[in-house]
This record gives sequence, structure tokens and C-alpha cells, in this order.
Amino acid sequence: MNYFKIIRKKIFTSLPIILLYYFSFYQFQTPEVGKIGIFSFNFQMILIYLYVLKFPEDLGFGNIFMAGLIHDTVIGITLGTTSLSYLALSLFTSYIRNATIRPVMTSEWFTFIPALFFSNLIYLVIINNFSNVSFYYLELLQNTFFTFLFFPIFHYIFCRYQELISKK
Amino acid sequence: MSENRDDFIIAIRYALLKKGAKQKFSLFFLILLSISIISLDRMSLSFMTPVRSVINDLVYRVSVVSSQPVKFRKYLFKTVSQHYSVRSQNIFLKKEIEYLKKQKFNNAYLSSENDLLKNILDLSEDKNFEKNFSIFAKVILDQESPFLKSILINKGTRNGIQKGMTVFSKDYLMGTVIETNYLSARVLLLTDLNSKLPIVIEGTNINAILEGTGKKQNLELSYLPEKYVLEPKKIFFTSGKDGFLSPGIPVAESYLNKKKILIRLLGDPDQALIVNVTDGRVNK
Repeated sequence: MNYFKIIRKKIFTSLPIILLYYFSFYQFQTPEVGKIGIFSFNFQMILIYLYVLKFPEDLGFGNIFMAGLIHDTVIGITLGTTSLSYLALSLFTSYIRNATIRPVMTSEWFTFIPALFFSNLIYLVIINNFSNVSFYYLELLQNTFFTFLFFPIFHYIFCRYQELISKK
Repeated sequence: MSENRDDFIIAIRYALLKKGAKQKFSLFFLILLSISIISLDRMSLSFMTPVRSVINDLVYRVSVVSSQPVKFRKYLFKTVSQHYSVRSQNIFLKKEIEYLKKQKFNNAYLSSENDLLKNILDLSEDKNFEKNFSIFAKVILDQESPFLKSILINKGTRNGIQKGMTVFSKDYLMGTVIETNYLSARVLLLTDLNSKLPIVIEGTNINAILEGTGKKQNLELSYLPEKYVLEPKKIFFTSGKDGFLSPGIPVAESYLNKKKILIRLLGDPDQALIVNVTDGRVNK
């Protein structure tokens, strides 16, 4: 019975990792992932930002790095590009976490803007300099905007989820 | 100012190097690893090609597996939408069947109504005149006179036979009753010289009078239009213009005999043994 509880808790706490890997793999078959018409957004970035900021013990940097590598393989760009972008986001988020004394959702939401900017900047720089892939800047901008816009929704969902699994 | 810079450096160092309770790798190490992977991949070293292909294969296989729920979802949506499509189609077809059934019943009703109206208008195709009212009679005598073609039947006024009644043989008109007795009656055949019957020619609206000539194989038509040429294999029906017989009773036919078109009765009076005597007001 005790083992069952441990396994169940392990599964529940592993949900962000599962989601991160799943969406990294999933993008290959369905490029419309995270897209609801024009409301395309980057779910992985929300997940990384949120978990590194709020629940760093549930999402390791190693997993983020691996998810980035998988994403690169799936997309077909230079290996390590997305990993570095995700890690840059994680670095920025870690800094915010360490610098913030009193975390508030709105402040977390608005600090997501420079985090996204920093991460996407690295992504763009690597793509432009280390790859021959053409890029739609407008789409990236749109994607970034909606990633920022949908953050509070996922913030609420995952905070509620973490509350629930911590009670069990 | 220097305190702020120190805080920033401390925070960055903390973020980069501190692994945390459950972190196995520091950010700094992973960033360096990423940069080295990018560099190796970009340099396209010989060992990177097989490594990259192995990684690709592995990731693609897992990607295919991970896409199965999505495929299943799509399949499910497709199946459900197909199911609903078939369901709606089924409902539509059921409605159509209901409609066609109603149409069928409506047709049956119209058909019966048509028959009824035909009966009322005397246009019925039913030629079983004897079913409505008839008296069966036996031909007891067949007069072989060169002018008067008549037969005698074994029914008379005792059985309700009156003058002017029409006589049929196998549904074909043979003649009219011209003389009645208590136990017998005389029937004047259509082949008789005195027989005059208004007819209409099959497939046309031409009216004429069918006259007897004393010969059952050669009757005559009078009052035909001037330029009308009679064709063989034409049936003559009663026109009903005499106001006595119902229209549409088949009487005679034209036929070709030695390049001549002749007219003969459909029923053979010589072969008639049993006849039906009616009052002539068939279907009225």
C-alpha cells in the first residue's frame, strides 16, 4: 500500500516532465501543436518558466536540456539550439526566482516578457548564424505574444495541480 | 551601486551553479554542453553524422509512438463524425422511405379512385360485363338464313329477358335480342344485314357504323371519312354513341385477305354455345 502511494506520487510529480517530453516528440507529427487557429503558443516555454520559477524540484535542467535536443531533432535544426534557448530561459527564471522576495502572479507574468525575449533572442541568433533554416519572424512574434498571454491560465492550472498533489 | 552589482553576480552565480536539491546538472554545465553540441553539429565532423542519424531514428520512432494518441483521437473524431453522418443519413433515408410509402399508398388510393371515377364515367377497362348482370343462356338453334342471321336461346321473359338486350359470347358482342318468348328468345347477330352498330376504330377517333352483310368474315363500315384508308389488324370498339351500349367493347377486327382489307367479328357466332344476355346498360 505504501509502495502504491509512492508510485502514485511519483507519477503525479512527474507530470510536467511527461508533458515536456510528450510535447517535444508530439510536434513532429502534428505541427499544429499548441495552435488554436492563430493562437499558436509555446507550451514548453510556459511549463519551463513556471516550474523553474515555482516548483524547481519537479523539473530538472537535465530534462529541459534533453527535451530541447529532442525538439531540435524533431524540427530538424542544429542540435542544441532549443536546448540552449530553454536553458537560457531557465537561467533567467532562476535569476528572477533568486531575486524575487515576494512572488506575485502579476510580477511573474510580466517578468515572463524579458525571459521570453532573452530565450527567443538566443534561439534566433543561433538559427541565423548556425543554420540555413528560413524563419517567419512575424509568426515567432505572434507565438511569443500568445505564449505570454496564456501564461496566467497555465499558472492557475499548474499551481492548483501542485496544491492538489502536495495535499495527497 | 556596488552592492547591487554584487547581488546580481551572486544571483547569477547561484542560478548558474547551484544544482538545487533534485538537480543533477548545473545550468552552467548544460549551457556549455549545448554550445559544444551546436559547435560539433555545425562543424559536421565525421563521427557526428552516424550519431545524428542514430538520434534521429530513435527520436522519430518515439515520436511516431507518441503521436498515436493524436492519431487515435483523429480516428475517433472521424469515426464519430462518420457515425453521426451515417445516423443522419439513416434518419433521412427513413424519412424518405416513409415518404415513398406514403406515396405508394397515395398511388394506390389514386389508382382506386381512378377506377372508381372510371366506373362513374363509364370508362372502366373491366369488360367482365356478365359479372355485373347477366343471364346465361344456351344457344338452342342457329338459323342459317341467307339474310336473317340470328340464334335462339333457351331463356325468355320468364328469366327477365327483354327486347333490345345485348348478347355476348366470350366477352365479345354478338348481337341483340329482337324477339322474346316466355321460355326462349331470338338474337339478331351482328352479321345480319339489319345490324347497325356505332363503332370507333382502334388508335384513332374515327367513328363509323359497322353493318352486317350476312357474312361473318366480311362486315362493312359506313360513314367513314372520305380519305380514310382502313389498315389491317385494327380493332373496332363500340363507341357508345347509341346511348345503349357502353363504349370500349371490342366487336370486330380488320384483317388482310388476298390484298383486300376485310372486317370480321371477334366472336364466332357459329361456335357460340353459351351466351350472356345483358340489358346492355353495362357499367351504368
